[in-house]
Amino acid sequence: MSAHANSSTLDSALRKQNKQGAGQSPKWGRIACRVVIYAIVILGAVMMALPFVWLILSSFKTLEETMFFPPTFFPKNPTFANFREVFERIPFARYYMNSIITSVIPTIITVTTCSMAGFGFAKYKFTGRNTLFWIILATMMVPFPATIVPLYVMVARANLINTYAGLIIIGLSSASGIFMMRQFMMTIPDELLDAARIDGAGEFRIFNEIVIPLLKPALATQSLFTFTRHWGAYVWPLICVNSDRLRTLPLAIPYFSGQYFNFQNLINAASLMAIAPVLILFIFTQRYFVEGITITGMKG
Amino acid sequence: MSAKTTTMRRCGGNERKYRWYRFQKASAPYIFILPGVVFYLMVTIVPMITGFWMSFHNWSIIRPTQPWVGLDNYRKLFADPLFWTSMKNTLVYSIGVVPLQMILALLIALLLNTGIKGRKFFRLLYYLPVITPMSIAAVIWTWIYHPNLGIFNQIVRFIGLRPQDWLGNPDWAMFSVILVAIWAGIGYRMVVYLAALQGIPRTYYEAAEIDGAGRWDAFKYITLPLLKPTTLYILVTSVISSFQVFGLVNVLTGGGPLNSTQVAVSYIFKRAFGDLQFGLAAAMSFVLFAIILAITLIQWKFLGKEVTYE
Repeated sequence: MSAHANSSTLDSALRKQNKQGAGQSPKWGRIACRVVIYAIVILGAVMMALPFVWLILSSFKTLEETMFFPPTFFPKNPTFANFREVFERIPFARYYMNSIITSVIPTIITVTTCSMAGFGFAKYKFTGRNTLFWIILATMMVPFPATIVPLYVMVARANLINTYAGLIIIGLSSASGIFMMRQFMMTIPDELLDAARIDGAGEFRIFNEIVIPLLKPALATQSLFTFTRHWGAYVWPLICVNSDRLRTLPLAIPYFSGQYFNFQNLINAASLMAIAPVLILFIFTQRYFVEGITITGMKG
Repeated sequence: MSAKTTTMRRCGGNERKYRWYRFQKASAPYIFILPGVVFYLMVTIVPMITGFWMSFHNWSIIRPTQPWVGLDNYRKLFADPLFWTSMKNTLVYSIGVVPLQMILALLIALLLNTGIKGRKFFRLLYYLPVITPMSIAAVIWTWIYHPNLGIFNQIVRFIGLRPQDWLGNPDWAMFSVILVAIWAGIGYRMVVYLAALQGIPRTYYEAAEIDGAGRWDAFKYITLPLLKPTTLYILVTSVISSFQVFGLVNVLTGGGPLNSTQVAVSYIFKRAFGDLQFGLAAAMSFVLFAIILAITLIQWKFLGKEVTYE
């Protein structure tokens, strides 16, 4: 430790900073430090991305090439035929449509119900508000698997097993969504709403014409979270659906890979097509995901 | 001027219009929260209570009446060795995934926070597995783990270790599942840590530097304590979700081989939808819920004490 560090006078502290600024600290040490940091981050990123890279490369391989031992990394004779063949062998378009239906509809409804509830909780004082909000946050602790058996019985009683309605009905609202929208709604100043009230606007008009336009980024964040969650939904569809007609992609791909386990080229092509929408969506909207997590610390 | 007269003036002195205004203002909050709250409680609290009630019955979906059996389901459950196996496996999974995943996520977040180039790009790469549908990721990994055709054994050979049938060998199956789970979840925790790190004011570090603190001191006395609420949050949510693992296991191994990866939820699933013993499955669900609740409360109690934000 130098004398500068021990002295706490402003003068010596400034001198120390100047020294560092002039680059007198060992330069090679800093460079080595950088190199180590980059090495760890890049190595980790490679391990993260490797399954995707291998999937993409392999989905262009021929059936023969997927059987090579040792396996090849880059396709020798790249081909697009796998993608076409998937559609010929299984009703892949149908699965795709099912996934779109069971992701888009719940997303629209969830964003609506959650933004309304978030607004209600954030901008009004009413009897039972805190109790209700507390109950909702507390039930986030309830593990989903602990409810699947009774949920199945309830949905079966309502004759909704093997229907779109049955698939959709359990995803029309979410606690984290309500919480996230509430956090966003709190940032709207009360004065703005009061000004609209003085101008004679009703509460629902205020919500529609003032709050919603202001919260477009929040709605985008919430939509993206909800959409990706429903696109990947596995447990509930697995229970609720047992006909091929209603299979969504997360069900269809494992089923397909079980049926066609010898056709790894087709499994790869199908998997790639199934995850492509969310991956592409995410690459272009990363900002919204990060913002959502930053604000609430949770995945919508 | 009272609020009432102001409002009435605005309504043109019309008493009916004024009443309507008052009514919609009083009822608005309830109408706003109604759909969201009802849809949510309908799929959480209602099945919770139904499930608890079911666990005291010999429940069958086919029979019209459900005979009351008291605590029989719970007794059967605790006498079932496979139930204990599934609980043990769940614990192994949780211990295997949670700490390592948190340490790696923190490490990467700290490194990305040092102002390196391409931070956004790296963040994107680390987050990709999080948004990939779990069951499809499991299909991809099934092939990666393939004993002859998979790339994992290639890498293992390259490092000089012995290739394995990763998912088919009871000794290695859980390890293989844990590895995929860590891969799938690091990104999310890393982004949460990164957000927390960026929330720590620069001035703290500047002040520490002026006082002569080194980098390690700054990390130990500023970064770590200020990350404590985040760490606790990540720990609690990670433990909760690790106890609910199902999709990954179901696709990768289906609980096998020889029940070596049979976890709590996959066993509930098997009992309910394989053996149609809904009462027993409901009892298991409730035990799982109680365990998760207990662990969470313990974590809050022992780790939550010193959590402060300033």
